[in-house]
Amino acid sequence: MSELPAKTRLRFLPSGSALHKFSAMMTLLLLIVAFSFTSPAFLTVNNGMTVLLQTAVIGLLAIGLTMVIITGGIDLSVGSVLALSGVIAGLVIKAGVPVLPAMALGVVTGAICGMVNGLVITKMRITPFVATLGMMMIARGLALQLTGAAPISRLGEAFGNLGNGSFFRIVEIQANGFPRVIFPGIPYPAVLLLVMALLGAFILTRRQIGRHIYSVGSNEEAARLSGVNVHRTKIWAYTASGALAGLAGMVLMSRLMTVQPNEGVMYELDAIAAAVIGGASLMGGVGSISGSMIGAFIIGVLRNGLNMAGTSAFIQQIIIGIVVIGAVYIDQIRNRN
Amino acid sequence: MLDTARTSAPLVEMVGIHKRFGGIHAVEDVSIDLYPGEVVGVLGHNGAGKSCLMRILSGAMTATDGQIRVNGAEVTMATPQEAKIHGIETIYQTLALANHLDAAANLFLGRELKTRFGNLDDARMYAEAKDALRQLNPNFKNLKDPVAQLSGGQRQVIAIARAIYFQAKILIMDEPTAALGPSETAMVADLIRRLQADGIGIFLISHDMQDVFDLCDRVMVMNKGRDVGTFKIQDVNKDDILSLIIKGTLPDDWTPRSERN
Repeated sequence: MSELPAKTRLRFLPSGSALHKFSAMMTLLLLIVAFSFTSPAFLTVNNGMTVLLQTAVIGLLAIGLTMVIITGGIDLSVGSVLALSGVIAGLVIKAGVPVLPAMALGVVTGAICGMVNGLVITKMRITPFVATLGMMMIARGLALQLTGAAPISRLGEAFGNLGNGSFFRIVEIQANGFPRVIFPGIPYPAVLLLVMALLGAFILTRRQIGRHIYSVGSNEEAARLSGVNVHRTKIWAYTASGALAGLAGMVLMSRLMTVQPNEGVMYELDAIAAAVIGGASLMGGVGSISGSMIGAFIIGVLRNGLNMAGTSAFIQQIIIGIVVIGAVYIDQIRNRN
Repeated sequence: MLDTARTSAPLVEMVGIHKRFGGIHAVEDVSIDLYPGEVVGVLGHNGAGKSCLMRILSGAMTATDGQIRVNGAEVTMATPQEAKIHGIETIYQTLALANHLDAAANLFLGRELKTRFGNLDDARMYAEAKDALRQLNPNFKNLKDPVAQLSGGQRQVIAIARAIYFQAKILIMDEPTAALGPSETAMVADLIRRLQADGIGIFLISHDMQDVFDLCDRVMVMNKGRDVGTFKIQDVNKDDILSLIIKGTLPDDWTPRSERN
């Protein structure tokens, strides 16, 4: 009997995850409206592009983490893997390798770290939290050891293209000889994020591996008994997360024009927060790329808007912390129903 | 004791199966066979080893020792996939459903239908699932809801549909009616008879004596991991079976019932 009211109510309201995504979207719009009032410079094309650029790195990490979280796992290593991938790319560029293959090697480095995570979790039966915590320390240690904790700079103009270039940039040379930026252009990182998000969403919803990722997180034993290769599915998810961390590393280091071995500390937590705000459940089985992207932009807009309003970095931490707890609380209420 | 004048060869034979967990013998030297169109009841206490034995046959667990033969050929059952390749389907007591996925996704889990480009063919899976589920329960609705929101009976129907959709030769049913009401239980009994008529062999784990006597051709009783007796259903009555389940032996004055007059 207790199911009856729930069923009738469901007919009038969108399903739980759609509701969550809707409320997250409303939160994002509300933030944008609020910040538009607090700072006149917030709602400008220039700042919009800045937010896109700043969110790209967290967004890329969040795509990988969404997949991992849907399997019921967690990946704490992405921030460190991002740094290690950058260091590897930087070192081989210094050794004379051209930028593109070097960046590809950086992404591969990330994928290998992710695959090691997956193998440790499945074959050694170590919980994802511990396994990726170990990888977080190993990757960071490697990055610092390989560089002697010093940044690698002077990597050449081409290295900065990925992070600083943009499509449709329109610049006018004024009469006085100074350039005037009419349209700042759509940054490459933002386009890359869009492409990877669409690819990730396609894989999760339209491909077998995506269906298996959901099934493993929903009921691992049922998935195994149904003939899903649980180990392969998990290894796939962690490898994807690692590769995306590598890609995020390329974007970030390219933007800075410098490889920083201590870059990306705590980024994993922002990415996890983005996924959770977007409706992913740390219990597994629930989550979506679109939700996580909304989550990433909520964090991005919050950071950007609070910066423009002159809020201190410490207060920002507090506010984002509260947002994360609030989002998980909403998730709890949803699960209780 | 067993009918030796059978015409067909056994579908499956399990010979000398052992399963040890550390020092514990969960299954000890159990042998059983199953013929086409036969329903064999597997009975015993909780923890008697019956589920364990069936999990070995369905590939969910590997035996420590022993042989499994399907149609006379020795096979390995290292994974559930291998068992499915040999036509062995299982309806688990836990149903083994992924709660966040809908009925169609669960029915085809691990064996998804794909389009030419390798994408999931959700439209075709949905249509096939609708057919398969309606055959078992004409009133089946909410195909697109996550199965967590469905009733126990509907969930059971999905688990059953999943086993028979892929043309099982050998079906293992672990307490298939435990979560069902009377009409749905009757539906499952009908289904078992229909599958039997199609020549499918069924292992039925049940605690319900009525079901066992209505549906089974033979019963095997397990006690503390051992096979304590395999009988044609006509040769035993409820008291005999209860005695086997509880004590592990037949009543002292037992003779096959079909030979008594």
